[in-house]
Amino acid sequence: MTETRADKVVEFPMLVEVPIGPQHPAVHEPIMLKVYVDGEEVVKVEINTGYNHRGVEKLAERNTFYKNIFLCGRVCGICNTVHANCYVRALEAILNVDPPPRAKYLRVLAMELERIHSHMIINAIMAEILGFDTLFMYIMRDRELVMKAKEILTGARVLADYMMVGGVRRDLNEVKRDRIKDILRKLEPRVKYYMKVFEEDATIRKRLVDIGTITSRDAVNHGLLGPTLRGSGIASDARDYDRYDAYGEVPFRLIVRKHGDSHDRMMVRWEETINSIEMCNYVLDHLPQGNAVPDERRLPRRFPEGEAYATAEAPRGELTYYVISKGGDKPYRVKIRTPSFNNIINSGFVYLGHTLADVPVILVSFDPCISCMERVIVTDLRNGVRRKVPIRTLARGEVK
Amino acid sequence: MSVELKKLGLDFLEKYALKVSLMRSNDRIVVEIKPEDLPNVIKSLIEKFGERGVLLSTIAGVDLPDEDSIMINYFINLINLKRYIVLRTKLNRDNPRIKSLLSLGINGALSGECETYDLLGIVFDGNKYLKRGFFVPMDVAEKGIYPLRKEFKV
Repeated sequence: MTETRADKVVEFPMLVEVPIGPQHPAVHEPIMLKVYVDGEEVVKVEINTGYNHRGVEKLAERNTFYKNIFLCGRVCGICNTVHANCYVRALEAILNVDPPPRAKYLRVLAMELERIHSHMIINAIMAEILGFDTLFMYIMRDRELVMKAKEILTGARVLADYMMVGGVRRDLNEVKRDRIKDILRKLEPRVKYYMKVFEEDATIRKRLVDIGTITSRDAVNHGLLGPTLRGSGIASDARDYDRYDAYGEVPFRLIVRKHGDSHDRMMVRWEETINSIEMCNYVLDHLPQGNAVPDERRLPRRFPEGEAYATAEAPRGELTYYVISKGGDKPYRVKIRTPSFNNIINSGFVYLGHTLADVPVILVSFDPCISCMERVIVTDLRNGVRRKVPIRTLARGEVK
Repeated sequence: MSVELKKLGLDFLEKYALKVSLMRSNDRIVVEIKPEDLPNVIKSLIEKFGERGVLLSTIAGVDLPDEDSIMINYFINLINLKRYIVLRTKLNRDNPRIKSLLSLGINGALSGECETYDLLGIVFDGNKYLKRGFFVPMDVAEKGIYPLRKEFKV
């Protein structure tokens, strides 16, 4: 068996560290990958979960439908708007409510701003993992522009709580619109520059090209989603097949790359970032007139019986909410399936055959959003010594 | 409703369907089948749409103590059609068992089956990775509690 050939076991992360600060790259989903290596070659990967299961689905059954909007927004820090949106649309499907066009456009704007900052952060983290700390700093600096834009739109730079049944919580006036447009004008050349760096830099290409390659068949068979799926040549995007909110009207490109390696996954994200900027500009230029904020007091307290399955294209892939109502003011069941749930748990096969230093690169290329990746434990089976090393040291191949 | 199946070229599913319905306000076709037919339905979907056309997106179990059953829904994304199909089946609540899709080579079922086993107690025959404590804290799992069962109160 492969296990008996291994003389070194790498487990990470054994230490769960709580991230502090809103710009920490990962705010949920602590997970442990046990990586078994034979020399430098990865021979087995175990993905252990359960360190931070918060029982959100059970809790959602006790809360009212409306309270859960805030709960769902807190499932994920980085993509909170998408979570709230997906849940709210499931409720709207049960209630048979259609939000006004202006609200739909504003929802798209909030979600695309979120996609921009999420894609920027994971590319920044990739730069850091590869040892380009300066590039990390630059991307994070420019990401702050997007956070400001999101704050102008929603009132909060991270947890927006922007979605409401039948609309959004805040409207956008001319002054705010111009400020966001101004920010996007500054942001666009920066993003194009970073994309060029990722596309052309010889060192980045060396670390990413042909690393963690997934064929299109494997991507579908393992249920992988989002940029990971599209990076493997499968044209599937919830914005395209479900056309929710204003995605049927706001033009966007379905970005697909063919090779399926880590580089393609990151490039899909850069291209989507540029496309999202174009979409935000379109929304700001074509914002329909009318009311976007519903009167909360007029919303029905009790829900009819029914069920709905809503999908949304979160930055990491397709997010789904399945909500069942049996009447009354509380849901009977809320099933949440986040994209990382599929992308991380089902992707153990991708690491096999690569070197130890490639493991963090491949993991980051899935945009895992896991808070306890900061350290790993290397266990040398020959003498039983365990050492804690930062993940960056591992990524740079400095672990002997 | 079988008109809907026909429209999408899914009429080959009719022989398995106990009931076909549409979810309110969005166009998800729900096909209720017998648990033992699940492998055949999945196989025929893959035969029709190819390995690259059938993506298992979500597995959602729902406890129904009033009906003394557990409902399990497989939300399947038919990529080429840009449509979803929901395969729904009901299992005996005392001994909920169904064949694992891993044994059919659908590796995307791993996460959903492990989670559903840990939270609801549905056994997926043929999935050797099922374990308690996948998500549920071990002190709860050791008591034999499946948190998403309705009798478990928080």
